[in-house]
Amino acid sequence: MLVYSRRFTVIRGLCLATALAFGGSCKKPAPSPEERTEIRIGATLPLTGAEARIGGFFKEGYELAIEQANQQGGLQLGARRLPVKLTLLDDTTNQATAVSLADRLVNSDKVDFLLGTYSTSLVEAQSSVAEQNHVPYVNGGGAATATYQRKYQYLFGLLAPVELLGRTLMQWIDDQQKAGKLPRPSRIALLWENTSHGKDFRRGVSEFAKQAAGSYELVVDESFELNGKDFSALLGKVKAAHADLLLADAHLPDYITLQRQYVSAGLCHQLLSYGARGAEGAAREALGQENVSYILSAVWWSAALAEKSALSKQFVELFRAKYQRLPDWYQALGYETARVLLAAIQQAGGSDREAVRQVLATLKLPSLLPGGEVSFPAAQGGQAYYPFVVQQNLPDGSSPIIYPKEIASAEGVAKNPRCGAH
Amino acid sequence: MAQLLDLAVSALLLGGLYATMAYGLGLIYGVLRVVNLAHGGVIMTGAYLGWVLHERLGIDPYLGLPIVAVVCFALGVVLYRGVCARLPRGAAGGAPSLLLLFGVWLVLRNIAYLVFTGNDRVIRTSYSTESLPFLGTFLSINRLAVLGISLLVPIALHLLFSRSLLGKAMRAVAQDADSCTLVGVDVERIYSLTFGIGTALGGIAGLLSATLFAFGPAFGAGELLKSFVVVVLGGLGSVGGTFVAALILALVEVFSILLLPAYLTPAVGFVLLVVVLVLRPGGLWGQRVLG
Repeated sequence: MLVYSRRFTVIRGLCLATALAFGGSCKKPAPSPEERTEIRIGATLPLTGAEARIGGFFKEGYELAIEQANQQGGLQLGARRLPVKLTLLDDTTNQATAVSLADRLVNSDKVDFLLGTYSTSLVEAQSSVAEQNHVPYVNGGGAATATYQRKYQYLFGLLAPVELLGRTLMQWIDDQQKAGKLPRPSRIALLWENTSHGKDFRRGVSEFAKQAAGSYELVVDESFELNGKDFSALLGKVKAAHADLLLADAHLPDYITLQRQYVSAGLCHQLLSYGARGAEGAAREALGQENVSYILSAVWWSAALAEKSALSKQFVELFRAKYQRLPDWYQALGYETARVLLAAIQQAGGSDREAVRQVLATLKLPSLLPGGEVSFPAAQGGQAYYPFVVQQNLPDGSSPIIYPKEIASAEGVAKNPRCGAH
Repeated sequence: MAQLLDLAVSALLLGGLYATMAYGLGLIYGVLRVVNLAHGGVIMTGAYLGWVLHERLGIDPYLGLPIVAVVCFALGVVLYRGVCARLPRGAAGGAPSLLLLFGVWLVLRNIAYLVFTGNDRVIRTSYSTESLPFLGTFLSINRLAVLGISLLVPIALHLLFSRSLLGKAMRAVAQDADSCTLVGVDVERIYSLTFGIGTALGGIAGLLSATLFAFGPAFGAGELLKSFVVVVLGGLGSVGGTFVAALILALVEVFSILLLPAYLTPAVGFVLLVVVLVLRPGGLWGQRVLG
């Protein structure tokens, strides 16, 4: 014991002397490129808590991309191939946990890069850790523009802005109005969750409506609390406003609760949308097919893109082979987020964080996302910018793409036929 | 006018839900003087029990109510005997009981995470989205059922307190537990049965909520807060006051949408709570002993 203590004291003394001499510390140094045996990537996801279901979807996407890279022998870095190791932790849908786990991944587990968590609020908080530690942070779960307006250098997001989502929905609606399928002016009831996500959606819709003067009238413009329970008063206001269109922005649990109360209240609008939510299998199970038919959604990716894009087709086949079902946009974004980071590491030729950051900042990579290419424009603060796809639930259970026209596989139904039954 | 009628109907139905959630909390406080912070966990447990009965055994949620009530009653008795009975009686048990029961809630929540994962669940029946037309508005069948049950519970509790020996003993214990011990009332048994009945009411509230909302292991936190507001507004220990307070809270929340942005309406109840506590610290009907 005494010998151990003396030896320990000597080691500490040597460390202290070295630290004083070189201004360094006695922490284990990062392995040199030659010593490195793997690329370590860290991530947290909400695997429990309010966003657990979606967190699980992103996990499937991350794991599929990493597995695919490792099956190909790992990443080609110069003359060597290195396997990729993913350390994935559960942030319990909690901001503080997401932040502390990211700190642990960087400073204790010594990961080289970070993949992001899911949902705007968690990404917003967690990306600060990456920025402070100069670790490239690629995420597919944060879409609010405010997240990318902080001039962060290490933050890269694959979700196009929610504002664009609102605008894309309105572009399709505008086409329908011009074709005489919707009244002019159309009275819009706009409901949005009281988050930066919801505010972006509101901006997209309301600015489009303002620019198309005389074509639209916002008769309800209300926000609601995230994870709300009772929307009866809010729906009462919507009913009293006699709107033609109900455009809402909600996360999955709120979409299910809202739609259930909407149907029970006997409401029906010519067009109904919950923003990015609508086509999820969980919602069909919870509400019944008859209660989700004709709902519009604008999403960052759709499995229907497999008919138009080789990369989407390849992803869908890979996903079906592993999980025996079709992916939603969540899994596609998870997969693409991990794939983009791996491609950037490979292009940088190693695990040097600064080199990978520079590659990401100038990247133009063929992608399964709409538009076919992903990049992180500095003008958008590192947030990808590409068109959304609008899809509509049909009574047969499918959700074909109805907009943009170039990739549409069906024509949308502008007047909800269910309303006639009421 | 039509909007006002819509809002009034919404408030009535919402009031029924709030009352159902609050009865168990109010009863346990009325007799044991314990703020049951595990009430949120009990509501969540009731929701999952109802879900299991419906999804796995095909039992309709309303037919499953007695089963959930019995299971939650047993859970309450076990919780009391295993946990609460070790606390000092009355006010002396206050702070430790808060911590202990909060711990019980966390344990229940984590058990739910382990067993059911964090995924949201819903109970969907053939009548989940059905409604009845009423004066130009629509009444959700589920919400009507919740309102009906919320009216039946205080009647049942009133009969229990006024007609049965057990109820009279509960009222007596609520007034003075030490004197009851002196005259031979088994106070511990009364406490344990009260905790069981309160927990059963929480479980029923959970199952009824699950017929209306999606739920997960974190379910119950918001419901506990609303229950607390209702119980304090109604006067701790007043069963009839609980129903009226639930109705007032719902009316204030629902009608405030005419003046305030929708996202602020949930906060209105808490403002009301603060105002009532400042002006009438005993609640709107004063503190009663299971009146």
